[in-house]
Amino acid sequence: MNKVYVTAIVKDVPAEEYGHYLPPMKARRMGKLQKRALVTALKAMEISGVGEPDAILNGTAMGCMENTVQLLNGLQAEGEEVNMPTCFMQSTHNTVASMIAIYTKNHGYNTTYSHRTISFELALQDALMRLRTGRIRTALVCANDELTELQQQQPRFFGQLEVQDRSEAWMLSVEPGEHPLYELENVQIIHEKGQEDHAIIHKKPL
Amino acid sequence: MRPKVVITGMGVVSALGLGVEANGFALMQGISGIREVRYLPTGHREFPVGEVQLSNDELRRMLQLPDGQLYSRTHLFGAAALREALSMANLLEHKGLVLISGTTVGGMDVTESLFPNPLPEGHPDVHDCGASTNDIADSCGDFDYISTISTACSSAMNALIMGKLMIESGERDIVVAGGAEALSLFHLNGFKSLMILDRERCRPFDQTRAGLNLGEGAAYLVLESEESARKRGAQIFGVLSGCGNACDAFHQTASSEDGEGSYLAMTQTIADAELSPSDIGYVNAHGTGTPNNDASESAALRRVFGEQLPPVSSTKSYTGHTTSASGSIEAVFCLLALKNGFLPYQSEFQNPDEQCITPVSGKKAPQADLRHVMCNAFGFGGNDSSIILSRYE
Repeated sequence: MNKVYVTAIVKDVPAEEYGHYLPPMKARRMGKLQKRALVTALKAMEISGVGEPDAILNGTAMGCMENTVQLLNGLQAEGEEVNMPTCFMQSTHNTVASMIAIYTKNHGYNTTYSHRTISFELALQDALMRLRTGRIRTALVCANDELTELQQQQPRFFGQLEVQDRSEAWMLSVEPGEHPLYELENVQIIHEKGQEDHAIIHKKPL
Repeated sequence: MRPKVVITGMGVVSALGLGVEANGFALMQGISGIREVRYLPTGHREFPVGEVQLSNDELRRMLQLPDGQLYSRTHLFGAAALREALSMANLLEHKGLVLISGTTVGGMDVTESLFPNPLPEGHPDVHDCGASTNDIADSCGDFDYISTISTACSSAMNALIMGKLMIESGERDIVVAGGAEALSLFHLNGFKSLMILDRERCRPFDQTRAGLNLGEGAAYLVLESEESARKRGAQIFGVLSGCGNACDAFHQTASSEDGEGSYLAMTQTIADAELSPSDIGYVNAHGTGTPNNDASESAALRRVFGEQLPPVSSTKSYTGHTTSASGSIEAVFCLLALKNGFLPYQSEFQNPDEQCITPVSGKKAPQADLRHVMCNAFGFGGNDSSIILSRYE
């Protein structure tokens, strides 16, 4: 069994750094979440020195809500005459993980978890099992959600689920490298009927 | 050594009917479930669909779920399929089960029926994918680990792949995995915008193919370590012997010309199963019926199998494209083919296309002594997956 290290954690990349990771020309047609997710992922790759992770995983509680709400509004306004192909193809929950793969031409394992507030932890657990058993040596694990104007105005519009407006990226590796942050020991997932699902990440600071 | 992952239960709901038996019968007889829309409140009657032929109310009553609450069809299909799978595996009373389910639509059918109004204050969550999976699990059994995968049309297959990993890693002995997906106006109109819906029944790999028909349904497989299954004295229906997942990394909705992602997924699953291409007796292709998918998948199949291409067909000509649920629905079809010794065939196939492989066709299901079959599911974003199911011997 391999040990698994967290070699980079990136969140809240300042807007002025975006240009360093993503040429404005390429960012032009991307939505806010896509840009933020991609820049966060690219920064984690740069810091860790892992440009081509063996796997890219994303966790998202609600997926790409900006495009989803836009299409719902379109359906409402125009009825079934609505014609929003780009919006639709970028509304699926896996848009972010596959966009990172398309941008970095990465053919590795690629998946997306969308299970309420524990989506990131589920992605982390998947990566951890693959790394431990030697199926892969590095994995980029991300968390990405966005809050639309509709959700900011009416936080309970889609229900009780609390969504954090965030982009976060962790690089995991079976090699500690020069500056490992943690050893990732375990991820615990707990479901009890009628309770909110929760997860615990067991990590040892190094 | 990795524990062998066997299948000890399965459940399915699709346009072909409710339950494994009904689906198997239609598949062998070559009867398509694709017809004019009946339950989805759409004006687009020009697009045939593979709907489950039951209303929400009929499903709810059948499942004995309380009235006075909003149910997504995803939840209802999922619960029907999950109960069948648990019952077959004798696990309805089992404590502490795992469910990994794939969906993308989740409760969108409910959301769009209310929009622009919100979910009523105090109503349990319905919209998000995780809420629909929790509802499916909690209305069927005792689950202490629930997870949802959302990789568009490969979601359910990726759930099976994760289930196998959990058992092989020794995390759990039993994992129920699959997916559920209802039709929604949201994605019917989305696919319409992409101009990939056929106005006639879809014709995968046919020269005249003009797109896909959407379908809906659910299927779950009970995955179990061989040791646990034997200890429980469970009946074993097959082995999940190989898994592959790769990204085409080409385009958000189009597949690359040479099918790189699907080629990688198929070669990985063959390697994972410790087999060679010549061991595969049948491939249940992703085969959506869109010009792009079928050409790209054919290119990849030719790269994987060369001159020794096994029989291939797409059962989407019967169910429509059940999107997130397709991977597990078609895995059930593969298990039926293995168990009953036949090749799923495309009863309405007519015109071979040079760009494509020629699928199994004819008036009758050919008999075949199958040991290993491959099943493909590819999603938006190039999320390509493939598994191998084998006879238990």
